[in-house]
Amino acid sequence: MPALFLKRLPCAALTLFLFTAATTLGAEPEPLHGRIDRLIAATPDYTKNVAPLASDAEFLRRVYLDLSGTIPTSAEARSFLNDKSADKRVKLIDKLLASPEYARHMANVWDVILMDRRRDLRVPKNDWHEFLRNSFASNKPYDELVREILSADGTDAKTRAAGKFLLDRDMDAYQATRDVSRLFLGRNIRCAQCHDHPNVPDYFQEHFYGIYAYFSRSLLFPDDKAPTASLAEKGEGDVTFVSVFDKAKTTKSTTPRLPGGKPVDEPKLEKGKEYTVAPAKGVKPVPAFSRRAQLATMLTAGDSDAFRRTAANRFWAQMLGRGLIDPPDLDFSGNPPSHPELLDLLAQEFMDHKYDVKWFLRELVLSETYQRSSAVPPQVKEVDHERYWIANVKPLAPEALAMAVLEATGQTEVARRALSKNLNESALHGRLAPQMQEFVRVFAGRPGEPEEDFQATLEQTLFLKNGALVRGLLAPAPADLIDRINALTDVNALCDEVFLSILTRRPTDEERKDVAEALKGATNRPVALGEIAWALLASAEFRFNH
Amino acid sequence: MFKRCQYACQSPEHTLSRRAFFGGAALGAASLFGLTQPAVARQLSASQRRVLMIYLHGGASQLESWDPKPGTDTGGPFRAIPTSVPGTHISELLPHTALRMHRLALVRGMNTAEDDHGKGDYIMHTGRRQEPNVDYPHLGAVCAKLLGSEDAALPGYIHITPGGGGNFNKKDATFLGPKYASVSVSDGKPPANLFRPTGLTEAADAQREALRHKLNEHFARSRKTAQTEAYTESYEQAARFIREGNIFAIDKEDPRTQDRYGRHDFGRHCLLARRLLEEGVTFVKVTHTNYDTHHENFDFHIEQLGEFDRPFATLLDDLADRGLLESTLVIVMSEFGRTPRINHLYGRDHWSKAWSVCLGGCGIKGEGLVGKTNANGTAVTDREVNAGHLFHTYFRALGLDSKKNHYPNDRPIPMADPKADAIKELLA
Repeated sequence: MPALFLKRLPCAALTLFLFTAATTLGAEPEPLHGRIDRLIAATPDYTKNVAPLASDAEFLRRVYLDLSGTIPTSAEARSFLNDKSADKRVKLIDKLLASPEYARHMANVWDVILMDRRRDLRVPKNDWHEFLRNSFASNKPYDELVREILSADGTDAKTRAAGKFLLDRDMDAYQATRDVSRLFLGRNIRCAQCHDHPNVPDYFQEHFYGIYAYFSRSLLFPDDKAPTASLAEKGEGDVTFVSVFDKAKTTKSTTPRLPGGKPVDEPKLEKGKEYTVAPAKGVKPVPAFSRRAQLATMLTAGDSDAFRRTAANRFWAQMLGRGLIDPPDLDFSGNPPSHPELLDLLAQEFMDHKYDVKWFLRELVLSETYQRSSAVPPQVKEVDHERYWIANVKPLAPEALAMAVLEATGQTEVARRALSKNLNESALHGRLAPQMQEFVRVFAGRPGEPEEDFQATLEQTLFLKNGALVRGLLAPAPADLIDRINALTDVNALCDEVFLSILTRRPTDEERKDVAEALKGATNRPVALGEIAWALLASAEFRFNH
Repeated sequence: MFKRCQYACQSPEHTLSRRAFFGGAALGAASLFGLTQPAVARQLSASQRRVLMIYLHGGASQLESWDPKPGTDTGGPFRAIPTSVPGTHISELLPHTALRMHRLALVRGMNTAEDDHGKGDYIMHTGRRQEPNVDYPHLGAVCAKLLGSEDAALPGYIHITPGGGGNFNKKDATFLGPKYASVSVSDGKPPANLFRPTGLTEAADAQREALRHKLNEHFARSRKTAQTEAYTESYEQAARFIREGNIFAIDKEDPRTQDRYGRHDFGRHCLLARRLLEEGVTFVKVTHTNYDTHHENFDFHIEQLGEFDRPFATLLDDLADRGLLESTLVIVMSEFGRTPRINHLYGRDHWSKAWSVCLGGCGIKGEGLVGKTNANGTAVTDREVNAGHLFHTYFRALGLDSKKNHYPNDRPIPMADPKADAIKELLA
């Protein structure tokens, strides 16, 4: 069955067009999300082990965090939970994808992926963020985004922000090579800088230097000291390399080429004709042929299987909590995808839909696979995360944790009211940014390094437990959570409100009893309410997206 | 990748452990007061190894400390005095330390070839030069990871600083992860947010914690992962640390003890270091600063080493008396030494070509002396070593195999510079 519909792939773009027009007729091939589910189901023991679909509350919190980087307000939660319409999940997904919060969240996520939280060198973080945010808001095709990032040379003020990727890496050809390969080709070939990779049989030193050759002639102009420097390029200089393992010290050379790809089609230039503007003191050289300019096009061209696989896999990992290739930057024969056919399908479809990010994410979150419960069914003894039969539990990124805490405690609502007529997403974000930065400082990993595995540090825990910022959020102030629930005299109503506000669900009977109990002996009600809210905020249920 | 090192020190003191004897005696007495638990905990920690690092920040002068050259053109005004090790002389500025020389070993042939503060600091803390492709972890983080215990109450790597600086330095653990990074104790004060904020009573704290526990149990019933466990466990770890929070209250120590250490900053910091080591902290670093003596080198060294000498000697005695010295590696170092040439401001400048480091304790032969400099201290003439050799020596002394690798993302990174080897003459 899967083989059959894979054959229909080349016309997928056309069929989708027909499909959207013809859904009501029920005639056309099924959309991507249905095919995802069938490939996930096509494994032995699926029926026996698969988790049921997530409850509305579970789905609501998850999709909010994944598509808008925060949690819903208690009012939004109520309205969704009370909504009886059959297509409410689809409507919610569309609403979130259209929201300005979506663009902000995607910018946060992709900033960390692309820049590893490194310190600003030449392009201010705000400009770069705005570039990413506008790109995701306008739903810029992913391949175009990557082309802009790799092509901007920083000369034109309008496109300089996109140049941060290379400018803030000091136009260091080694760094650029490592990160282009890791982020866009799914191959962490760092080790291949000095020799063929010792543990990964498919990563060769010539791969490293093939990519390196696109960058090796590039430099910062006027020099690397100037904060306003832009990229320039020489018209000469060839790339040679020697393996440190090679006792004979054989020198090899390469022209620009992607791993396994064709070498760049380079014109043979006569000596003396390498430049349109020759290098001289204080003059920015312009080569007759730019090697660097070839990269963006060659990387995103249709024949680069690695580019589209990596793209599809990264967005999949972002939504599903684990890459089909895991880790996403170790794509090689010894680390095959958990679902090879599915990855091929996703990669092909993403490309055929012109790398339409919103369409792709929409299909992912529409799938039943995404919408499974994360609760392990009682009959399952050991969870196999790479099966996707049970939704993966993922920690909130520092930014999302901050936004969720601020929304849960009513701080966001206080800011909304303060802005009143001038309320929009940017203004609201501006108000909340200082507090968000505090969370990022405590919860983010090392600057300049790819995000590490989740670690709960003492600093983070003490920050949540005893820190002044969180304490302050739990003190009553007009319109915040404590103020709101303190006004509720009915304990049941109070319980509902505090659980919906923080955990996006209604409390269990036992939890209602616990809250009532905690309030009974309380001498100072607002303080007691603050401590109850703290317990919910400090719970694992809040710290993770489940 | 590594087994946690639990095996005992090979020192003769271990076979006849005074510690076990005192521990046993203390157990009987303590249990009368219902204090059995701490004594047992301490007894258990005896099988663990620890490190005390004293960092003389700025670059202490080897000529005014471990390798004096009196009567030469570079020697300066101070005499060399005999020590408890016949034939070994050190500067007269360290009379108390001199009497403990039999517990210590000197490395007089250091050549680290780096006269920059930042780079020298990196070399001495990581055992490597800075490289573009690898960010090496600090020795303290490596020890916290390889020698520490997962359920320890206190962080594995605590740095007592003279003041200022952040509390949690997640960067110095690099690829080992922030869990093993240093926690700075600025001027001996506990790290940020350790104590219950005002307005939160003990009872209210217990109640909110109980509710958090219940919620977590409910969640863990169907959604337990390694990550959610790590998160909930971090609260238990924080609670254990908070319970030990009084460890920072050194003003509660017997006044006579405080007097023995000295009532100045470094004295208090050394006393705190002892308390932390006693409680099983794997790596305690104490920074003593103001050694960057480009002018008035001699006056400053009278002052700084005058402050250093007695608390350091007292700390050595206390560790030895408690049976902890044989399981605690002691390192006294700087980022480099100081020039033999005395400049026109009576100062000495940065100098990494011929200087000294002092070691002692766990796995180190007392009375050791390795390396020689020429008559006026301008060059190493025998057994030249660098930080790579020191790191092999540290790891071997602590019972670790220094030839092993770390494996961040499956990439092998040697624990110590493969081009160097341990200073075997010093290993017990």
